[in-house]
Amino acid sequence: MAISREAYQALEDIVGPENISEEPAILDSYAFQWLAEFRQHGSKFMPRAGAVVLPGSTEEVQAVVKICIRYKLKCKAHSTGWGLYGAPITENAIQLDMRRMDRILKIDEHNMFAVIEPYVIGATLQAEAMKVGLNTHMIGAGASCSPLAAATSFQGAGPDSIFMGSGPENLLAAEWVMPTGEILRTGSLGSGLGWFSGDGLGPSLRGIFKGILGACGGLGVFTKVAVKLYPWPGPTVMPIEGTVPAYTAQLPENIRAHTLAWSTWEGYADAVYKIYNNDIGYIAHRQFIMFGDELQAAVLKILTDTTRTLNDLEELLKKPEIQKLSEEMRRSFQIVLVGMTPRDIEYQEKVLNQILAETGGWKIAAMEEPTMAGWSLLYMIKLCFKNLNYVYAGGFHDAMARAGTPDLVTSGWMEEMREQKRKFGKQGGIVNDGGDAGMGGVGTAGGGGYNAFENFILYDPGDAASVEAARACNVDAGHIAVEAGAGGYNFFFMEKEQVQALLAGRARPAIFQWQQKIKEAFDPNGVGDGSYLCLDE
Amino acid sequence: MALEDYLSDAKRCCRCSYCKWIPLAQVKSWRFAKGCPSIAYKNFHSYSAGGRLAVVLSLSEGRSSYTDGLLDVVYQCQMDGSCDVACKICRYHMEPLEAMRELRFKLVEEGQLLPQHIPVIDNLRKEDNMVMKPKAERGKWSEDLDIKDLTTESAEVVFHGGCQLGFDEELGKVARTAVTLLKNAGVDIGIIRGKEENCCGGKAYDMGYRGEFIKYAENNIEAWTRAGVKTVVTSCSDGYFTFKRLYPDIGSKFEVLHTVEFIDRLIKEGRIKFNKTIPMTVTYHDPCHLGRLGEQYIPWQGEEKKIRGQIVVYEPSKPRNNGAGGIYEPPREVLRSIPGLELVEMERIREYAWCCGAGGGVREAYPDFSYWTARERIEEAKSTGAEALVSACPWCERNFIDAVNGNGDKMKVYDVIELVQQAI
Amino acid sequence: MGEKKEELIKIVGDNNVLDDPETLDSYSSDYSFVPSRKPWFVVKARNADEVQRIVEWANRTVTPLVPVSSGPPHFRGDTVPSEGGAVIVDLSEMKRIITIDGKNRMTIVEPGVTYSQLQPELAKEGLRLSMPLLPRRNKSVAASLIEREPTLIPKYRWLSADPLRCLEIVWGNGDKMMTGEAGNFASIEAAWKRYFALLNPRGPAQVDYYRLVQAAQGTMGIVTWTALRCEKLPKVQKLFLVPAKRLDELLDFAYRLLRFRFGDEFLFLNSFNLACILGEVADVIKALRDELPRWVLILSLSGRDILPEEKVEFLEKDIADIAQQFGLRLISSVPGASSGRVLEAILNPSKEPYWKLGYKGGCQDIFFLTTLNRTPEFVRTMYSVAEAQGYPASDIGIYIQPVHQGASCHCEFSLPYDRSGQVEVTKMQGLFTEASEQLLKEGAFFSRPYGFWADMAYNKDTQTTMVLKKVKDIFDPNHVMNAGKLCF
Ligand SMILES: Cc1cc2nc3c(=O)[nH]c(=O)nc-3n(C[C@H](O)[C@H](O)[C@@H](O)COP(=O)(O)OP(=O)(O)OC[C@H]3O[C@@H](n4cnc5c(N)ncnc54)[C@H](O)[C@@H]3O)c2cc1C
Ligand code: SF4
Ligand code: SF4
Repeated sequence: MAISREAYQALEDIVGPENISEEPAILDSYAFQWLAEFRQHGSKFMPRAGAVVLPGSTEEVQAVVKICIRYKLKCKAHSTGWGLYGAPITENAIQLDMRRMDRILKIDEHNMFAVIEPYVIGATLQAEAMKVGLNTHMIGAGASCSPLAAATSFQGAGPDSIFMGSGPENLLAAEWVMPTGEILRTGSLGSGLGWFSGDGLGPSLRGIFKGILGACGGLGVFTKVAVKLYPWPGPTVMPIEGTVPAYTAQLPENIRAHTLAWSTWEGYADAVYKIYNNDIGYIAHRQFIMFGDELQAAVLKILTDTTRTLNDLEELLKKPEIQKLSEEMRRSFQIVLVGMTPRDIEYQEKVLNQILAETGGWKIAAMEEPTMAGWSLLYMIKLCFKNLNYVYAGGFHDAMARAGTPDLVTSGWMEEMREQKRKFGKQGGIVNDGGDAGMGGVGTAGGGGYNAFENFILYDPGDAASVEAARACNVDAGHIAVEAGAGGYNFFFMEKEQVQALLAGRARPAIFQWQQKIKEAFDPNGVGDGSYLCLDE
Repeated sequence: MALEDYLSDAKRCCRCSYCKWIPLAQVKSWRFAKGCPSIAYKNFHSYSAGGRLAVVLSLSEGRSSYTDGLLDVVYQCQMDGSCDVACKICRYHMEPLEAMRELRFKLVEEGQLLPQHIPVIDNLRKEDNMVMKPKAERGKWSEDLDIKDLTTESAEVVFHGGCQLGFDEELGKVARTAVTLLKNAGVDIGIIRGKEENCCGGKAYDMGYRGEFIKYAENNIEAWTRAGVKTVVTSCSDGYFTFKRLYPDIGSKFEVLHTVEFIDRLIKEGRIKFNKTIPMTVTYHDPCHLGRLGEQYIPWQGEEKKIRGQIVVYEPSKPRNNGAGGIYEPPREVLRSIPGLELVEMERIREYAWCCGAGGGVREAYPDFSYWTARERIEEAKSTGAEALVSACPWCERNFIDAVNGNGDKMKVYDVIELVQQAI
Repeated sequence: MGEKKEELIKIVGDNNVLDDPETLDSYSSDYSFVPSRKPWFVVKARNADEVQRIVEWANRTVTPLVPVSSGPPHFRGDTVPSEGGAVIVDLSEMKRIITIDGKNRMTIVEPGVTYSQLQPELAKEGLRLSMPLLPRRNKSVAASLIEREPTLIPKYRWLSADPLRCLEIVWGNGDKMMTGEAGNFASIEAAWKRYFALLNPRGPAQVDYYRLVQAAQGTMGIVTWTALRCEKLPKVQKLFLVPAKRLDELLDFAYRLLRFRFGDEFLFLNSFNLACILGEVADVIKALRDELPRWVLILSLSGRDILPEEKVEFLEKDIADIAQQFGLRLISSVPGASSGRVLEAILNPSKEPYWKLGYKGGCQDIFFLTTLNRTPEFVRTMYSVAEAQGYPASDIGIYIQPVHQGASCHCEFSLPYDRSGQVEVTKMQGLFTEASEQLLKEGAFFSRPYGFWADMAYNKDTQTTMVLKKVKDIFDPNHVMNAGKLCF
């Protein structure tokens, strides 16, 4: 089904013929999405849009939204579009791809913020920030993602959140084309005073569009935002060494990566509390566990050696030193310490050592070795290898998620989720990684004290049986997540009735009645695609 | 391989968009972070490797069909492989470049020809070259050259001029210089003289014309065999890639060297010596076909299998062409050894170099896109402060020269060989 | 009227519905210039259920409600009814500290809890809260934070409203909600059981409700508890003063420290403000003002947990080095003030009377958000308006507080005056108006628009005004909550 000629023409008049398409193959390249196969039909394709539009300015976005209202079309934007939530969940909607709006409009070196458009990605913002001694927070999804999307529209936390906060914590003023086609400029920007504050006048209106999850494109389009930046006392250009793909970064003494380990979860939790209480650490994340507790050491070996491939995995897994390293890494996380001065790094290292002494932890020696340390530094600082989530077979879902205080790890859940997934792994439908690929877990909020885990389900999207197994594992995990107050974005896999049942079954279903009211007020014409969740009265 | 063999690649594409950028680890600025010219120019997601994989899947599922729009998506692509390098950094079982090539083969096989390519291929079939010239003009560059003619004589080494050097009056000197240098250094070298030299077939291959490629490969292999050749040398990076990476599948066993490799060897052995200084700052452009695509050919036949439930591996282990083994150092070594010459690097180099714009049949079909791609590179070269942009491929050089002229820039464009000759 | 009172008594009990003239009088005006208006009743709510029933009642009877948590004196006009027939909902009796969670450094407090009440209790658990600058003793912690008052430690403000995290609110329509991670659960206890310490303020779901309550001056609903993130109580704390003749001289240095996140308490005071803090009465303040350096950057260094001495020691050395690069000195006493006295002062609520009132008995504040680099311009503007109006520049207190880790800063001018003489009051009114308008014109962002600032600020941003009205209609459809404030 195509959109009406009249509507198409009206859209084309706004952006020009080279920036709109309804070519089926092009539309399908947008409908194709990571995780789409978790939806009912198992297809890699989301509902196909009626047209895809590439706006070049806020004014164009505004005009497009108004046309959508006039012709009763749904409209959804994505920035880089990594994930099924970037695609409209109804057929025949207008997909806005924001990639032509990719400018860094300003880096305010003193007040430490940047003004960016949607298609600025973490990598480009970071590169420009580093030139002036600053850095940007990167979501865990890494350097290819849009900091604007993370701050306004989806989740927003990452390995550096302990020091740099999360996307929404970093959001200052924003420019928002609301579903009515009107533009709201939040905070200081609305008064024409620049980007430094996202709050006021009076209440902070950004609260409407971003909670623990954002509106996922279902409530208008964000066209520019200011995000806070953070100090970077390192080189203005990251010095990269090594041969592809085993790049490494050798950084000055004031920047160090360690992998810290404990033999008990209690020790781990205590250490996380102590890190929280002592304000140390620039990046801290249980990162490499994402390869699975049994496979992590072998995979690291492969990734840091240009001559190796996954074919070497089985042989490596037999090596005692590899087995030992994986075992050592069971209860571990990576930390990057960054000293603003030589005295600072010396102090942080000392504190860290004392924390380890007090909690029975240690620095894993094999990870201190220069190649590994350099690779870890590069990985953690640039988050440039994030599609390693898909390394085994191309499928990854972060389903078994849970958040909470640092002592969550002592609750028994870590073992539970490991066992639960291990069961599926052993059946062979998903990667048998040992069970615990529970990434996260040090600080997902500015300053720490709060963290989240995602136990990865790794599968082969090219294999229907594997998709089915992953889906079963996800459903199993989903119950636990909802019970725990999480629930993620599984609703994107569901049909409308299932979503309604899910919302109604929550401990506080009224939340979604509030959202319904907000939707009525902000999107009276129903331009949003349904990603802003509403519980029908 | 057939397109169906790449359906699992298509489904396993995680839509991360890494293929649109240079390896994210290497991003040094906002300005020069892009890796894929196609998406950078056309913007719709389908104009990226990931997008084209989705198109493959869409076609195979019958969700879309052959249209002009689809042909545009497939052919506005340089086949330069920047996407491939970026994707494979973290993905061990993806072959996006191969999949895109296979898609072209399929289109051609099914008669879905890009109209702009038709005259070029017609000319190839008639005149044995890719530059729309009559065959008779091919030999001009070597007319007065004192060199063995391997149509009748034999030699250890054959120098292949190729279509671009062979017909381009301005660039013909590169080939002449190269052959002369090698000969003077004592190499037993010859050429397939005049119109007898054939196209390598590589460009046709990139455009999807597998049949034409095979024909030329077989012809060339036969001619060289007849002349007792052991080593094939060329100054054309396209040819280099074709001989080194594609010919072995047709049974070729020749050693393949690019002149920069040969010259580098001769300099190191003291067989070429410099006695002039060239006080100039230059920057070097890695041709895709010499750099990331110029890796060793390692034969492989095997199949996919799974370990630990769902981890994809290969039986036997599959060689990985990810750009690591490209020819990056020899041209740089040559430049560094020239007295007075200062080599400064652009941001996008080696396996993640930006394309010149002349790849994949783009120069022939989409001159605006081709020109724009070259302009991007020239801007990058200018940002280094270099006076000259040096390369090792006549296709790159022609595209750069045109782009420089088109814009009235002062940037000079050289082949490595030209600077070597100036310094002798 | 009798009927209404009866209904209120049913909710909060006889003793908690007040309508004696004296009480009503005390709520009918404050130190601001907003017109005085007597409320109808004052009710003292004791718990969230009562609050909810009051709001439900107000919706039924369409009665304006004005929530108040802190004790007097009030300064901003936000607790003075703008409409007739209003009922003050006084929450100052809701003084429960619901919990102090030492391990997770969280505390949950009702709105009547004051800093003077809370800090000693926190200290017992080895914690404290970063405070605003010398709040008055009966200032509600919750009210202060909900209104986004700046606190002294910018580095701990990841969020612009830190340390405020989750809260419970009765919206204007009478619905009660817990916000942030608490909002997914039936009770606080249920959240705790699931390892949520109420530290994550976002949500629930796709809305950050707590942001909609901020700086709302009670127009959206009534908050019945707030969850706050505390700091470790320092084991070692050292305060330094960095004096300068001009504010500009301090800025590059300050920016460097903010960037490095060096220093805890981190604020700029001019000599007059510091004198008001250290002195009690006008004469002493005057003498001190003349003795103190024109500007001081106040900087405290703390060692909180492991190796506290070493931390302070290295910071002191590093900061001294940095100061030297900028031609500044890090010192522990300046003429008129020692770091010990300043530290003692800023770590505690104000002495009585409130520190801004000691000089002349009255005081008007003009404050707004800006960026640090722009503060010198605003200082000049303030001085020039004062001069034009014949107000002595030497009597202007200036407080500059970086917030949100230095991305912006709160800039505050305090203008003491004698409230007893009509002439001086009128003059002050003129100065206050003129200066506010002039500052606005030059780019001051009145992000918390009290009193007459509201019209002035909202006129500059009609889109925000329109959207805020939508939000108001959602959460307080009958407009019972503090009508007449902001743009409502
Ligand atoms: C491997 C992987 C790991 C991940 N890990 C994390 C993690 O650690 N932390 C985390 O926070 N998230 C994580 N995510 C989710 C991630 O945040 C989202 O994929 C997304 O925000 C990434 O940014 P993007 O630029 O790709 O956004 P997009 O995919 O473009 O958009 C994300 C959502 O925001 C909406 N949106 C985007 N731009 C706009 C706009 N301009 N206006 C209105 N709506 C818009 C889209 O409709 C979509 O719903 C992960 C995802 C992947 C694939
Ligand atoms: S082709 Fe590779 S790099 Fe591109 S989107 Fe797919 S997986 Fe990512
Ligand atoms: S071959 Fe080049 S132009 Fe084509 S998709 Fe890959 S990077 Fe882009």
